Amino acid sequence: MIRIRSIMTRDVITISKNSTVREAAQLMASKSVSSLVVVERNKPVAVVSERDIIKGVVSKRKNVRDVMGREFMVVSPQATFSGISRSLKEKKIKRFPVVENGRLVGLITETDMVEATRDFTRFHQIVQEVILAIFGFATAFFLFYFSPVGASIFG
Amino acid sequence: MARVSKIMLTGVPTLKKEAKIGDAAKLLAQAQVGCVVIVEDKNPIGIVTELDLVRNAFSKGRSLKESVSRIMTSPVTLMAPDMKLDEALKIIDTKKFRRYPVVENGALVGLATKKDVVNAISDNLRFHRNIQNIVLILFVLFELFIFVLGKYMPQYLPFGI
Repeated sequence: MIRIRSIMTRDVITISKNSTVREAAQLMASKSVSSLVVVERNKPVAVVSERDIIKGVVSKRKNVRDVMGREFMVVSPQATFSGISRSLKEKKIKRFPVVENGRLVGLITETDMVEATRDFTRFHQIVQEVILAIFGFATAFFLFYFSPVGASIFG
Repeated sequence: MARVSKIMLTGVPTLKKEAKIGDAAKLLAQAQVGCVVIVEDKNPIGIVTELDLVRNAFSKGRSLKESVSRIMTSPVTLMAPDMKLDEALKIIDTKKFRRYPVVENGALVGLATKKDVVNAISDNLRFHRNIQNIVLILFVLFELFIFVLGKYMPQYLPFGI
């Protein structure tokens, strides 16, 4: 069971909804992040993605308030990876601010999910090879048991 | 193992390298794919992603009339449609990009993303793992059966010990 706490981005960059789109773009560039969380009294009210910024620039909107995405889902750090992955696929929600005791502690985006999936894949491959090795040894013992040498040892 | 052609996105927006940043922004605001491939005679020479636009153009206050070639990522790593997914994953692990134009006979045919490759491999692995484990368990049960038979009722074994 993979908890959100272990895969979330901890350094969430926040912005006020009264900031300009240009400021948001500069913040993304200086902090090297792709999403900003819009907070109001410590509560996440929206998430701004790179796409929101681009849409804002194309339609000549000035403020973060006019471009921010309202489609997000607040999750707890104890939530599981599979639960979120279901919301991602079925509801097409891509941003998950992580809130604990009313405080914003992290953010999960699609990129974090892909990275986590990549790591599990690697982990599963190792587990699979260990299982194969164990069964391999069982079979080797089986053949040895019925061989003349094995028979003389085990009677 | 599936191939890149099975998971790649088609209909990727393209622009010539003479195009302006504003054109790329307009395409990206509408398109479902998060990038525009910059082509020269159908041959991809660079890529402009949402990240390039926001971090290299908007944040620095570049004019939307400047050429896209100033903010594009170039050269790009290409993939072939008949490439196996685990080869693709190896490239992704070493290159650290998220998007790879897929080229056949020198022309752009699609776009492979890290997300699609990783998800396809993960689903594939889960499916194969279940089958493999069932086969292994049946095999070991069979071994155990022969083992017990050979030990306690050797007369029923078709071969002697």
